[in-house]
Order: sequence, then C-alpha cells, then structure tokens
Amino acid sequence: MIETTFSRGAALRAGPWLGIAAAASFAVASFMALIWAPADAVQGEVYRIIYVHVPSAWLAYLAFVVVFLASIGWLWSRRPLYDAIAVASAEIGVLFTGLALVAGSIWAKPTWGVWWTWEPRLVTTAVMFVMYVGYLLLRGLETDFARRATRAAVLGVIAVIDVPIVHLSVLWANSLHQLPTVLRAAGSPALDASMLLTLVVSVAAFTLVYTYFMYTRVQLELARQDRLRAAAESPRAQRPRLP
Amino acid sequence: MLERLGPRRVLLIAALAAAVLVGAFAVQNLAGSTVYYLTPSEAKDRGVAVGQTARLGGLVRAGSLRYDERSRDLRFVITDGRSDVSVVGNGAPPALLREGAGAVVEGTFAADGTFRATQVIAKHDEVYTAPTAGATPSHRTGP
Repeated sequence: MIETTFSRGAALRAGPWLGIAAAASFAVASFMALIWAPADAVQGEVYRIIYVHVPSAWLAYLAFVVVFLASIGWLWSRRPLYDAIAVASAEIGVLFTGLALVAGSIWAKPTWGVWWTWEPRLVTTAVMFVMYVGYLLLRGLETDFARRATRAAVLGVIAVIDVPIVHLSVLWANSLHQLPTVLRAAGSPALDASMLLTLVVSVAAFTLVYTYFMYTRVQLELARQDRLRAAAESPRAQRPRLP
Repeated sequence: MLERLGPRRVLLIAALAAAVLVGAFAVQNLAGSTVYYLTPSEAKDRGVAVGQTARLGGLVRAGSLRYDERSRDLRFVITDGRSDVSVVGNGAPPALLREGAGAVVEGTFAADGTFRATQVIAKHDEVYTAPTAGATPSHRTGP
C-alpha cells in the first residue's frame, strides 16, 4: 500500500563514512577558523564568529528549502519518504537557525554594543525561527499519518517565503546588519583570500554535518513509519496505541 | 481537470500560489516601509517631537567624538552630510564606535535640540581584511 524505495542497506553503509567525513572536515575548519586565518584589521579576533554564524545561517536556508521541496514531493506523489525528509530537515533547520541567532547575538555585543535590536535582518530571522518551531508543533497536533504529512506540507510550502525575505532584508534602506560579504552585488568578495577560503571550508564542513544529520534522522523517521504501519496492519491491534 | 489531479495536488497548487502572493506582498511592503532608524534630515523633516522615542542613524562626524571616563559622559555629532544632530549619552561607547564610521542611537530629543541617547550602537561594514604588518587590530577584544 505504502512503499518506500529507499535502500536501507546502502544508507546504513554510508552513514558511518558520512559521519567521519563530517567530523574530519569540522576539525579542519576549526583549525583554519581559530588559528590559520588572520585576525580582522578592525574587529580583531572577535570576527572569527563569522565562521560559525554564516555557515549556520546558510544551513538554515538550505534546510528550509529542502523542507519546501520535500513538501512538494509529498503533496505531489504521496511517498512517505518525502515526509521523513521534511521533518528531518525542519528539525535540523530550527537547530541551526537558533545557532545563527545565538552566534550573531554573541558577535553583536562586542561589535555593535547590543545583544539584540529590532533590525530587519534580526526580526525576519526570528520570524523564521518561530515559523519552523510552529511547523514542528503543527506536526504534533495530528496523529493520522497522511493527514499530518499533508497539513505539515502545506505549511512547509508557504513558510519558505521567509528565506528570500531574510536574505534580502539587509538590502533595505536603514538597516544595521552588514551587507553580504561573499555574495556581493558588485565586485569580488570583500575579504582576504585566506578568510574566504576558511569561510568556504567552514560552509562545506557544516553542509557535511547537515548531510550526516539528515541521513541519521531520516533513517529514524522511516523506522518510525515502519512501526506505525506494522501496528496499523496487525490484526491484534486495530488501533495503534500511541505512547 | 481538478478531479484528475487529486485533492493533494490541488492543495499543492493552492499553497504555491499563496506562497507567491504572500511573498510578493511582504517584499513589496517591507522593502518600502520598514524604518529601523531615521537619518538626521528625515528626523528634521518629520519634526520628531521632544520626548518622543526615536532612532537616528548616520556617520559620527570626524573630530566630534568625546568620552569622559570619569563622568561617563559621551558626546558626538551624528551626520548624514546635510543635517547634524548632537548626541549626548551616558556610558562607555561600543568599541567599534569611531569617527567617520556608522552609528545608530536610540533615545529622545531634548528641548535644546540635542539628542539624549539611551542606547548607542556602532555600525560596521561587510569588509574584512588582515591587519597590515606591524599594526595591531584597532579593536582588541579581551583585557
């Protein structure tokens, strides 16, 4: 009735390797960010938070775009794998949005002079965080698998509009947050080559961590779907007892 | 045609349409009307009343930044090139507050036209470079 074409065997073999690759690249990125890259001419050492702040924000964008695509996938084709991908990516996205907010706040205090201010980039990012926490809460409201997946998918499709809004919010007049350093409208990235390389390696390391988290979380979700299905089809228990 | 698509796909199309609509409205209105701070000229044009909380943003005019460590009295002039506003604050300025660089101040106008800041925020740009040989970073963190 409901089938998944996800190869469990291949995924189980790939999991440890992904974990090792993520840990190794994270170690390299940490060394580059903390020791190898030079201090900033104006900010000194504190600017190094950029190597956590920017990759976290990037992962938040990536995770919520994946939620969007997986939500389309569920609504279009009803394959449970898509719902597993959506919930996994939403959870990881909330984690890294929170990390971007916290790291940004720690960076703001010694540079701007405040932990928080109601500035467009900060407000739109906080809205994004709250929307996807709401997405996860919405998933908890419904116990029927297909109905829950459908309701969540509708929100997953609509909520993604905040991603471009967050990204563009720094370009609006009168904001405090600095403009994009790497994806600049005009000219080349506005940072030293060694800093740019460190940032690229950090983003790659965080992306590998995301991939590893996704693999693990999707496996867990598919196992949970199996359990639900087995309980629903078991003749002894027509109504699955929920914990 | 809708029957052939099935209810979920109709829902998908509706959700996509809603996303595009909400996004277009949000971008159009937020981009035009969000005001995080006023420039000194805008504050003058709008006639911000005495005692009304406002945020001003601009550049710290060269040669105007004074901070007295004993009285914790902070004074500088914020400018947008056309209008100047004298800012009076209390407390140490953020380490990145410097002359010629951006700043955002929150507070109220006093009757004499000076701006009494309750909060002073330094604005910095998106450019990062290594210090030149022999020079130390101008903002040192830690003791």
